[in-house]
This record gives sequence, structure tokens and C-alpha cells, in this order.
Amino acid sequence: MTEFQQAAAAIYLAAGILALLGLALPAPRLTRIAVWGVGLGALIHGAAFATLHELDSVPQLTDLPYAISFMAWIAVLSLLVLMWRLRLGSLTAAVGPLAFLAVFLPTLGVQSGTDADLLSMRGTMPHAHVLLSSAGLGMLGITGLAGVFYLIEHRRLKKKRLGGRRLSLPSLEALDRVNLATLMIGFPLLTLGLITGSAWVHATSGSYWSGSPHAVWTLVGWGVYGGMSAARFFGGQGARQAAASAVGGFIFLLFAVIGVEMIR
Amino acid sequence: MKILLLGMSHRSAPVEIREHYAAEDSVAEAALRRLAEHPEIGEIVLISTCNRVEVVVTTQSPEEARSRLKHFFREELGGGTPAPGEGAFDDHFYLHADQEAVGHVFRVASAIDSMVVGEPQILGQMKDAYRGSIELGTCGPILSRLFQKAFATAKRVKNETRIAQRPVSVARVAVELARQIFEDLSDKKALMIGAGEMIEAALFALKREGLDSLRVANRTRPRAEELAARFGATAHGLEDLDALLKDSDIVLSCIGGQGHVLDAARVTRALSARRNHPVFLIDIGVPRNIDPAVDDLDSAYLYDIDDIQGIAFSNEEERRREASLAETIILEEQERLAGWMVSLKAVPTIRQLRARAEAVRQGELGSSLSKMDLSDAQTKRVEALTRSIVNKLLHRPLARLGAQTEQDQGLAVVEEARALFGLDDSDAPGAEVDSELDASESEPVPAKTLKDDDDEVGSAR
Repeated sequence: MTEFQQAAAAIYLAAGILALLGLALPAPRLTRIAVWGVGLGALIHGAAFATLHELDSVPQLTDLPYAISFMAWIAVLSLLVLMWRLRLGSLTAAVGPLAFLAVFLPTLGVQSGTDADLLSMRGTMPHAHVLLSSAGLGMLGITGLAGVFYLIEHRRLKKKRLGGRRLSLPSLEALDRVNLATLMIGFPLLTLGLITGSAWVHATSGSYWSGSPHAVWTLVGWGVYGGMSAARFFGGQGARQAAASAVGGFIFLLFAVIGVEMIR
Repeated sequence: MKILLLGMSHRSAPVEIREHYAAEDSVAEAALRRLAEHPEIGEIVLISTCNRVEVVVTTQSPEEARSRLKHFFREELGGGTPAPGEGAFDDHFYLHADQEAVGHVFRVASAIDSMVVGEPQILGQMKDAYRGSIELGTCGPILSRLFQKAFATAKRVKNETRIAQRPVSVARVAVELARQIFEDLSDKKALMIGAGEMIEAALFALKREGLDSLRVANRTRPRAEELAARFGATAHGLEDLDALLKDSDIVLSCIGGQGHVLDAARVTRALSARRNHPVFLIDIGVPRNIDPAVDDLDSAYLYDIDDIQGIAFSNEEERRREASLAETIILEEQERLAGWMVSLKAVPTIRQLRARAEAVRQGELGSSLSKMDLSDAQTKRVEALTRSIVNKLLHRPLARLGAQTEQDQGLAVVEEARALFGLDDSDAPGAEVDSELDASESEPVPAKTLKDDDDEVGSAR
């Protein structure tokens, strides 16, 4: 783990704790500081990726821990972009600690279960596959996170217990816009990740379909998101159902793409 | 110098009595001018709002001032007659002196003593009262300092507590709930069903939030038109409800009559027409105007009057809890002002003690020297000796008095020193110099020269 990664992890964690305090007290100033903290963390996190090539033993971005770290970075960046227009500061309370864990994974000894030969393979296609898939997963991660917050806020509004001192969560509309925007970009990225993955398998084995559990589960996960996107964009699905689908879909996708890798 | 406050508020007197003493500006102004002419009254500020009438004064003669203020209320503000149903004077009026009066003014400015704790209007009303007194020339350095400190305290209370954060009125609670559902209210459309006072208050609150697309639907169209015209809204009859519902993000209903104006089927049709975009419905009608079953629809958030009032009540409770934090701030500021008040009294006391001691020294020295045949050099030596004795005797008491200005019990020590040295006794040795001192200190500090960087009102003085 490089010094940049350590610094990014520490800042993400500190920002997450600040945002949690800001959410619980509630203290909007703390939340604002936390947002700036996550921004700083993302900057250092980006620098960590930029300096990877200077290491003696170059870690491959195709290694699972680094792919997860990249996924977290994309998630943080997309959230920061969305925060430009929407009041989403309290999401930092979840994104900060999650990003910390994602950056910290390499030190926890998380290893990829994928064939070592495949992962050590250099070239455009493996990197394109992992980067596109990780970026897609990062975006869809934010879709899922926004979904969790949406369901909490929806429940609070329906229960009508909103008086006195209470958590300050983003508006339902802001969370729904996050759902729409991240699904709209995340799903095509995931699709491109699948296509490049298939091209990668073809380059190594001559077939577009490897038939591995990873490939099967990922394709099922992609199908789930395809269905969700269709319901959202063409089926007039309501915001609450979309939020619930986003949470379920992301848990399933995380298992299909990463969980299956880890349990092999 | 003492500070006295005599007045009544919503806590001590019903509105029938308060309104009797709430004189018009011109009447109050003339009455204040007359009050200022009395020697027992120093500086004056009159606070008159719909919830309180209070007069704050400085005085050297508290007993006479108290009687004068009672007379001021009865004869000047009350027109010489008691209010209908008013009992004894003390039943409805309260009198606070010195630190109690200071604390009261701080509490009023910080809206802790208000009917709705944390409401913002009182601070503006107090600033107006203060400005009025400055313009009238009845506010001097002490009350000026008191009010400036009160405004700074109110600012601290607002910034350091959550006393004013949660809304407590039905209209404001509704707006805040709308902000939990919608990110930006300015691009939303609101539909008001009814045209009564509650609808008017809601229109005002929504307009203030920047919501421009407002529609008013009512059984009697002319009333809807009249209200709509005042808020730049469009007017409709109830027959337009289905069409209006389709693109309404916020629906507020408060209309008379039996039966539900909106039922679940009607709202379901509207929701499917708007592709299930959420709609926020507020039903403040009694009997209820919107079928409670509407709340079971996923994208419809329905709040009735009890829900809204429940939230308003919780918010009010929260404000009251915050008021205890505000009390700590008020005590801190009260102590700071007390330090300043002590210094006001300590400095003249020190000066007076020095002057009297010097007068006694010179008097005694003069009479002794005339009986002795001393050379110039010997005279100078004796003079130096007496000066040294006086200085050494006074050094500790004077140093102690100077240090006491920073202490809680400072004023008591100053009073004790005055009694011990007989500084208020005109027959005491050296008292003949007091008149010279008084002449040099009787010029009040003009209000505009007082320094206070805590409050924006300072610039208006």
C-alpha cells in the first residue's frame, strides 16, 4: 500500500466519521467539511493510481483489490459530481467509510480467485474490461446507496415522525435523480465491461463465452440491471420501487461480480 | 445608577389588558418625552409589541422611579383609566431591577420569553424600539450598552443553539416537509384547494420559498380569483381538480363541507398520469378533505392537520430544550455586562476617594504648617511625607477596587468601599471636593461614540 493510498484511506475514514456526526447531531457544517474531505481523499486516491507505475513490482489494476479500489474511486467521483447540483452531503456518511474499506482491502489480504495467468496478462483488453466494469459497478454502487437512503427517507415520511431533532437526509427527489443519473451511465459502462470481457476471453481461448461461474453470474446480474433499466426508463416505474430494485440489484451484482470471485 | 424594568407581557396579562397599554407611536413618543423630564428618571427605552409593553429606565432614585413608572403606565399609556377587567396593578405588571432587568432584556431579545420560542420578529421590534429611543434622545450610554449587548446575545443564541431552526407554524412545517420530498421548490407546481386564511398563509409561505406556479381552486370562483390575484396565482373551480392534479407536486387542501374532495382513485389516476412522480398532499381541513387511504399510495405523501401539528409540537419542544442552552449564553453575557456596570461605578469611586484623601491631606497640612515655622526645604519634606502616608494607606483599597470590576461580586465591594469611606456622606471630611468632581463627570457619553462591534445596529446610531 503506497503512502498516497494510506493518506486517501485515512481521509475517507475521517470524512466518513465527520459526516456521521454531522448527520446524527445534526450539524450541517460538519457535513460540509466531510464533503470537502472526501473530495481531498478522491484527489489523493487519484494520485495513488497515477503513481502506481513507479512501484518496483507493478500491481495490476486487474487484481481484485485494486479493481475494488478503482470502483470506489469512481463511486466517490460520481457522487462528488452529483453533489455539485444536489444536496447530497449526508451520503458522505456512507461513502466515506465504504471508500476507506475499498482502499484498505489490499492490506487485508483480499485476493482474487481468478486464474493467475489471466489476471497477470497485460494488454488493453483485460484493463478495459476491469476498468469499465469497475466504473460501472462504482456508479451502480451509488445507485444502490441512494436507494438505501431513499427507502429510509420514504419510510420516515410515511411514518410522519419528523419533528424535533432528527437526521438530515437528502430529499427524495435528489435521491431519485441520483438513481436515474447513475443507472443511465452505470449500466452502459457495465455492458461495455461485459463486451470487453468477452473479447478478452476470445483472445485467450478463441471463444466468446468462457462458461465460468464469474461469467454466468455476471451475465445474470447484467440481465437484472437490464430489466431494471427497462422498467425505470420505459415502464413508468415509481421512485420507491426503483430505489428498492437498485438496492437489491446492487447486492446481487456485487455477489455476481466480486463475491463469486472471492469464494472460489 | 440602577436599571429598572416595568412592564407586562403575554405571560402576565391577557390581550384585553395589553392592548389597553399599547399606545400609538405618537402618543407613546409624547409620553416618553414627558417621562424624561422627571429628575428621578435617567435613560429610557420603551418596548411595545403585540405581546409586551415594557419600559426600561436608569435611575439614581429607584423608589421614586418605580412610582413614576407606574404613573407613566396608568396615566400616560393607559389614558388614566384601568383596562377593563384589570385587577391590582401588581397582578399584571412585573418589575425587574439591575441584573434581573438585564437578564430579562437579554431573554426577550433572544426570543426565549416569546410566545413562540425562537421567533425572529422580536429582535427586529427591539431594534426599532432602541432606534426610536436614540432618535428621541432618551437613550444614553448605559441603556445603549445594555441593548447592544442584548442584540449581540440574541445573535449568539441564534448561532450557537438550534432555537430557531425547526419551524413551528402549520405553513412553515408544510414547506419544510415539501423540502424533504422535493429538492427545489421553485420549479414545482402547487394546488391550493379552498380560499380561506390557512390557504392564504400557505400561499405566502410557498411564494417566499420561490414557488411561482400556484393555482387556487375553490367552490366559489370569485373568492379564488380574489386570493389568486394577490399572489400571482391562477383561479379555478373544483371541476378543474382532475386536470390540475395531474401536474401538481404540492396539494394543500382546506375547504369546508362534508365528504372527501380527493379520494384514492382520483389521486391514483393523477399519479399514473404523472408517471408516478411523488405528490405531497397536505390536508388541514376539518372534517378532512382528502381520503386517508391516499397515504397508502407509494408516491403520495399525505399529512393531515394532526400530523402537521404533531411535528410543530415536537419542534416547539426542541426549541424549548434549546432555550436552556440559551440561558447559559445569557448568563455569560449578563456577567460581562455586570463587569462593565461595576467599572462604571468603580472608576468614579476610586477618583472620589483619591480626591477626598488629597483634600483632607491638604487641609490638615495647611492648618499644621501655618502653626509651624519651617523652611521651604522642610515644608517640602513634610508634604512629601504626608503624600507618601496617604498613598500607602490608599494603595491596597484602590488596587482592590480596580480589580473588583472583573469579579462577580464587584458591585458589592464597591458599595462596601463607599460606605466604609463615607463617600456618599456629604458631611464626611473632604466631601467639599465632590461638587468639583461631579461637574467634570456629569457629561454623558453620547450613544454614537459607544463601541460595539457585535451588532449591525451600531451603524444606525
